[in-house]
Amino acid sequence: MERRAFLQDLIGTAAALVAPPFAQAKVTKHKPGMRYLRPPGALDEDQFLGRCIRCGQCGEACPNRCIKFFGTENGLLSYGIPYITPREQACILCMKCGDVCPTGAIKPVKRLAESILSEVDMGKARVDKSLCLSYQGKSCGVCYRACPLQDVAITVGWMEQPHVQAACVGCGLCERSCIQIPQAIKIIPNYS
Amino acid sequence: MQKHLNKLRWVSLSLVFSMLILLPYLSVYQSFIAAHAYDLLLPSEKRIYDVMEWLTPFVGDPEKELDMVKGTTWSGTFFGLKLSDPLAIVGQSAAGLQVYWPFVLTGLIPVIFTVLFGRFFCGWICPATFLYELNTNLGAWLQRADLPIGQRRFDRRLKYLVLFSGLVLSMLSGSVLVAAIYPPAIIGREIYYAIALGGFGVGAVFFVLTLLFDLFVGRRGFCRYLCPGGALYSLLGRYRLLRIKREVKICNDCLKCTAICEFELDPMRDDFGQECNNCTACIAICPTDALSFTLNYKDMPVQGPGHLGHEYNELKISGTKQKKDVA
Repeated sequence: MERRAFLQDLIGTAAALVAPPFAQAKVTKHKPGMRYLRPPGALDEDQFLGRCIRCGQCGEACPNRCIKFFGTENGLLSYGIPYITPREQACILCMKCGDVCPTGAIKPVKRLAESILSEVDMGKARVDKSLCLSYQGKSCGVCYRACPLQDVAITVGWMEQPHVQAACVGCGLCERSCIQIPQAIKIIPNYS
Repeated sequence: MQKHLNKLRWVSLSLVFSMLILLPYLSVYQSFIAAHAYDLLLPSEKRIYDVMEWLTPFVGDPEKELDMVKGTTWSGTFFGLKLSDPLAIVGQSAAGLQVYWPFVLTGLIPVIFTVLFGRFFCGWICPATFLYELNTNLGAWLQRADLPIGQRRFDRRLKYLVLFSGLVLSMLSGSVLVAAIYPPAIIGREIYYAIALGGFGVGAVFFVLTLLFDLFVGRRGFCRYLCPGGALYSLLGRYRLLRIKREVKICNDCLKCTAICEFELDPMRDDFGQECNNCTACIAICPTDALSFTLNYKDMPVQGPGHLGHEYNELKISGTKQKKDVA
């Protein structure tokens, strides 16, 4: 996005000459502290905001109804942009949203393990060992059983202790299924 | 014959609007089907399921077949054909600083239709027009009850400035901002939020504000002066082929067409310009059938006052009743 940076600098410099406080206001893409995922196959955050036209078809196509849309809580620029809160409803990797997206903000990805593994990157799961039951000596393994890419994205060891592998695509089904409150396994979104 | 086009237009507007309500329900129905859990639905959800099942009698596999029609007027799929609003394409190209061809092509058919028929989207399809025209009627009732109604007028060119600044801001912020202030996009989105996601969002507040603006500041104010999509359609339809023409010989200068025009145009003085949305309200109200559609790439030059009711010795009008008392 060099051109945009250039344009913003240009306006910023002009604004700094005319009205110094205006130049201080920076365009924020997402608030720190808000954790959400983009639909599977979404472009990088910078490109995604420029591509998404807020038509809402991804949410309409989602059979699991996990795709929700921002109001103004994440800033004015995010109004109408799709996101997923995995703890409430996680992505089942059906890949329907990529097929309906008219602008390619969400890439169309075939519903096959290989193409999902290579093209989807919503984030990566991280286990909090101080919360996870299996790491406290109470064999659980629910996250492993919820994972659609079992033994590839997540493996279990002694006492069903989960180990997240590099192949994890971040669909969030493990976070959704975790029986601990708060959840012991969380998706760290790829843009943070 | 053309007098009835206005009724056809209302049928078209209501159909589009009811589709925007039906499609979210169908989407909810599809998600119930995907879950295979009819017995676990709440009673209200069961009612949605049953009604939608009854409304789609010849659909064997709703999960796949109902995907044929999806989306809103902003961008949607219509029997496999992806269509998008030209403003979505211009806004996205500005925000992304690049032209994404698969998306640009989805706007080809709307653009061709706009070049031929002008701002027809505003008059015949736009779901916001449906509500704005009802709002105009509400305003007329309020006026009859002696309540204050906005009669202010602004410069119609203001909307081109809104379009331009919206695109520049989209370019600078890297986010399609025009989508946030374009009423048809907001309506499609908010109806979906209300039905499928549990409640109206912030866009509904903006839309209600535009309704109040129309009511208490200026009639149809948002469409006339502020709508960025209307501005784009006006520019695209500048040399449209389908225009309304006044037959000066049978016009009786009653001024009803100018009073009814939602877009502040002046059909009685041959002033249509690029703003006319071919809504045919003036054709429907004309008492002497002086207005009709014609094929031409530019408007008639000003023809002067209508001849009906005036004494022109070479004039002989047949088939229409003359009214001597109308000046």
